[in-house]
Amino acid sequence: MKIPYRWVTEFADLALSAADAADRLVNAGIEVASVIPLAPAGLAGVVVGEIEAIERELGESHGHRLLLCRVSTGRERFSVICGAPNTKVGARAAFAPPGAVLPGGRRITATKIRGVESQGMLCSERELGLGDEHEAGILLLDADARLGQDLITLLGLDDHVLEVEVTPNRPDCLSVLGVARELAALTGARLTPPKPAPKESGAPVTTLVRVRIEAPDLCHRFTARVLGGVTVGPSPAWLRARLRAIGLRPISNVVDVTNYVLWELGHPLHAFDCDTVSEATIVVRRAGKGERFTTLDGQERVLDDSMLVIADPRRAVGLAGVMGGADTEVTDRTTRVLLESAWFHPVSIRRTSRALGLRTDAAYRFERGADIEALVVASARAAELIAELAGGAIARGMVDVYPRRRKRVRVRLRLARLKRVLGVAPPATRARRILGGLGLPTRVRGAVLDVAIPSFRRDLAMEDDLVEEVIRVWGYDKLPSLGTHGARAATTGALPIEMRGALTAALRQAQTVRRALVGAGLSEAITHAFGDPARAALFRAADAGEPLRLLNPLAQDASVLRSHPLEGLLGAVSVNVRRQQPDVALFELCKTYEAARGAGRPDPATVEPRWVAIALTGRRTAPAWHTPDAPADVYDAKGLAEHVLAALGIAARPGEAPRLGGFEPDCHAALVNDAGAVVAEFGEVAAPVRVAYGVDAPVFAAAVALDVAAATAAPPLVYQALPRFPAVQRDLAFVLDAGQALTAAEIEAELAREAGPLLRQLTLFDVFRFPDGRRSLAWRLTFQAEDRTLTDDEVNRIQERVTRRATETLGIALRSA
Amino acid sequence: MGHPRVDAIAEEARQAVSAARTSAELEQIRVRFLGRQGLLTQLLRALGTLAPEERPLVGAAANETKRELEALLATRLLATQDAERRVRRATERLDLTLPGRRPPWGALHPLTRVHDEIVSIFAGLGFSVAEGPEIETEYHNFEALNIPRDHPARDMQDTFYLSESTLLRTHTSPVQVRTMLAQKPPVRIIVPGRVFRRDIADMSHSPMFHQVEGLAVDRSITMSDLKATLELFAREMFGRQSRIRFRPSFFPFTEPSAEVDVLCFVCQGSGCRLCKQGGWLEILGSGMVHPRVLKNVGYDPEEVTGWAFGMGIERIAMLRYGIDDLRLFFDNDLRFLRQFA
Repeated sequence: MKIPYRWVTEFADLALSAADAADRLVNAGIEVASVIPLAPAGLAGVVVGEIEAIERELGESHGHRLLLCRVSTGRERFSVICGAPNTKVGARAAFAPPGAVLPGGRRITATKIRGVESQGMLCSERELGLGDEHEAGILLLDADARLGQDLITLLGLDDHVLEVEVTPNRPDCLSVLGVARELAALTGARLTPPKPAPKESGAPVTTLVRVRIEAPDLCHRFTARVLGGVTVGPSPAWLRARLRAIGLRPISNVVDVTNYVLWELGHPLHAFDCDTVSEATIVVRRAGKGERFTTLDGQERVLDDSMLVIADPRRAVGLAGVMGGADTEVTDRTTRVLLESAWFHPVSIRRTSRALGLRTDAAYRFERGADIEALVVASARAAELIAELAGGAIARGMVDVYPRRRKRVRVRLRLARLKRVLGVAPPATRARRILGGLGLPTRVRGAVLDVAIPSFRRDLAMEDDLVEEVIRVWGYDKLPSLGTHGARAATTGALPIEMRGALTAALRQAQTVRRALVGAGLSEAITHAFGDPARAALFRAADAGEPLRLLNPLAQDASVLRSHPLEGLLGAVSVNVRRQQPDVALFELCKTYEAARGAGRPDPATVEPRWVAIALTGRRTAPAWHTPDAPADVYDAKGLAEHVLAALGIAARPGEAPRLGGFEPDCHAALVNDAGAVVAEFGEVAAPVRVAYGVDAPVFAAAVALDVAAATAAPPLVYQALPRFPAVQRDLAFVLDAGQALTAAEIEAELAREAGPLLRQLTLFDVFRFPDGRRSLAWRLTFQAEDRTLTDDEVNRIQERVTRRATETLGIALRSA
Repeated sequence: MGHPRVDAIAEEARQAVSAARTSAELEQIRVRFLGRQGLLTQLLRALGTLAPEERPLVGAAANETKRELEALLATRLLATQDAERRVRRATERLDLTLPGRRPPWGALHPLTRVHDEIVSIFAGLGFSVAEGPEIETEYHNFEALNIPRDHPARDMQDTFYLSESTLLRTHTSPVQVRTMLAQKPPVRIIVPGRVFRRDIADMSHSPMFHQVEGLAVDRSITMSDLKATLELFAREMFGRQSRIRFRPSFFPFTEPSAEVDVLCFVCQGSGCRLCKQGGWLEILGSGMVHPRVLKNVGYDPEEVTGWAFGMGIERIAMLRYGIDDLRLFFDNDLRFLRQFA
């Protein structure tokens, strides 16, 4: 909200610069985003000049007649060429004599136009940086503007505007007076709020207009004044300048006054053309369902019964607290004005404003909570100003329908509470002065301050609210700081809480996984938790449920929560591949989100299983002179899953029945823990899935279920004695026929069983495929006894048994050397 | 001295060694004299065939010669191998500027780096980590935190809803509530986690981001303790010289509330691009736990007081690393991520 500083000083005798005032406000919790000089940057030397005479015409230029004018600044006369259509003798206008500077740095000098000297320039609004107006001509000033006066002073532009940002609990600061009150409290300056004394005459207003509130829950108070004999016209320059300074467009004297008072006192007002209100009767009621209403901006709105309207007996005339109606607005022809000053329920206003997408200055204030008492002053102030600027008579009195009277609020502040909450406290007298300065009348009762809460501070409802007021004004810098007190024992001493500093098991597990994968060359990704339902559907296994859906997603392609651990990560793969980085090795610690099943459901009834997702595409390692290029494959994905599990101390084995969707059916397998639970899955990402992500190259992926891993008991670490006797190694290679479906794991299991307890290690060290489709698998068997050196004979006998078993039971051949 | 038969072999061996020029030749000599079929080996093996009185003499001499020869060979082998290696190097011309074979090394996400740093600072101060669900109830996310039904934050405009009463948590504060409901004071936790706001992604907004929340509740917790704790944090996080500033603010769940700024660590307060000339950087919101929040979880605000703070991990990471676009964190471009390896 733009607050011109000079305006503030009209209500508080501040001895501060605008910048210092801004600092004080910031330190008291009123954010000031900027302090900007009101005058356009660079503008200097432009003064009030009078066109005394038009001496001759110099022909046309760009469709305008060029006139040679004599311009007086009181002390001096200038010959000035001007092409503006509104140039006329006797007018006072903005004049830039030679030496003046326009915004943007243009310095005015005497120049020749068509061979005639022009000593300076009569300026348009746009040329002065004061607005957009240019075609209409030069900026005309009031006839009583003093000749030669600096334009910046004349227009009140020698001022600064504070861009104030108020937290939602402080609607009382959404006005010039509110800011002045705050600054007075902070500095001890005297506050002099406006005391309007409208001159009333003629008939009592109660004979002119009737008000009926049919929805007292939404409208706690409604007042009306009537002004007769009003002449609607443009506002005077000072008012137009003020409105421009606060970013509003001047409209007409009556409307401008309501806006001016809104800014000054913070209370929204509305002026109706009284003669358009039928039966001179105002009814405040809920809108009908589907009721249509055309607002001031000419838009037809469809209302519902949660919205409040101001109506006459025939139809709605205003959307309460949000915007007036087109039918009843004040126009050039208006002579009688009905001035509304009312209080509407914040929630109703906010809902209405949001539902209709109508964010107005009035709604902004009502939805934060207006001052139900001060609306009387606002009404009087506006009536007084309208009478002053638009003439007319103010009818006697004010219609005041006030069905829900505000209850008096008193809050007690124990002085001890200050110390208890803050750790420090100002002396009692200081605390009392602070509250008094904020406009909170305070009585002392022993060690308790009894505080009457005024109607403009709806945010103050309990003791600690007052604690904040005290420390806010006294200064947060009074809180002791390490910087000034050294390493205070209080930091830890005052928190006698068991020093645990424990990380959760989940966090420790995540750190282990991250370390393992970063050490294996993968980089960590973090992706959004929601995605595209069409993509999610591609991942879905046949028996999986629907993903959880957001009621109000930002976009259709971000409308379901992640239901598959790879959903986000493949997006990251895609980003990199599309950006010329075909070699990708990423992982993500993520969650999927599911409806909880079965009994004992949590609240909310959802579960969030944790995963580490791994995705690889392109080359296994960055190209390097020492290592031939090789594409990543499914065994990289499997190896990384095993690596993660190993880091977590979990022994996993191949298992049946992988569950996740999204993998190529013939390149997808699971790893299970000792209890047989699937703890990881890996494979090649199904082609339709990666194509949907725009990735052409094969992608290999793994997902480790971290909750399953956490529930898997890692075998305890127990030291095994080192072998004391030498080991004997034998290599055995077997050949499988092309049609044989045996797996390496099946053969290994058979070999190990037959070899017996002396077999210490079984390592598959070579896999080879013959051109005719036969496969060769070669194992190294390591034998060792704990109590003796094995003899060749002993090992030979085992080797023969193992070989026989393989050839006879499994039907595979020993590969001849 | 020894024995004539042995001396002859010894002399022959010495001459052979001194004549040898390569390690291969030395190996041949070792085999010829000391190998399984070597001359000395055979001699020793044949001791039994000698006359009983000769056996000890020949045996001793042969063993001594064997030791002498072994030592001699070892010395000469070292020397020749060394020479040979130098010759080889000279011909091979090793280029030691070739890149080494580095083991692979990935990168932690910058948000993880900052997260871990924050968590470890507070863990060091004795705070325990607490976590909670990302899908939350309206009660835990809003109601219990003194955010009334009509508060703008509860609008469909600002919060992602899954149903009338469940939503994606908009801050980590519901974990405060869950923790306090589950245990008696004292409480001293930090809560890191993902949070969600219904903001369209741009340079400074993201529908998902990360927060760390801190909470301390006990018999005599004051706002001065909050300040001291955050000051300690700032020094650990931003350096010994770091200073902080409290500014009054408003949050429904704290009273009094404070916005906390840290002195700009680039310009030390004199004004620069990072702090937009202001000299201070806003890093977190904080305050004393609102008495209504304490009541909502069954604590007595007359018995205990507490403080809480919440900060955005993205915000800290952006300040720390000079990142100017929030979206970079979630693009996961490897050229970005690898900068944090």
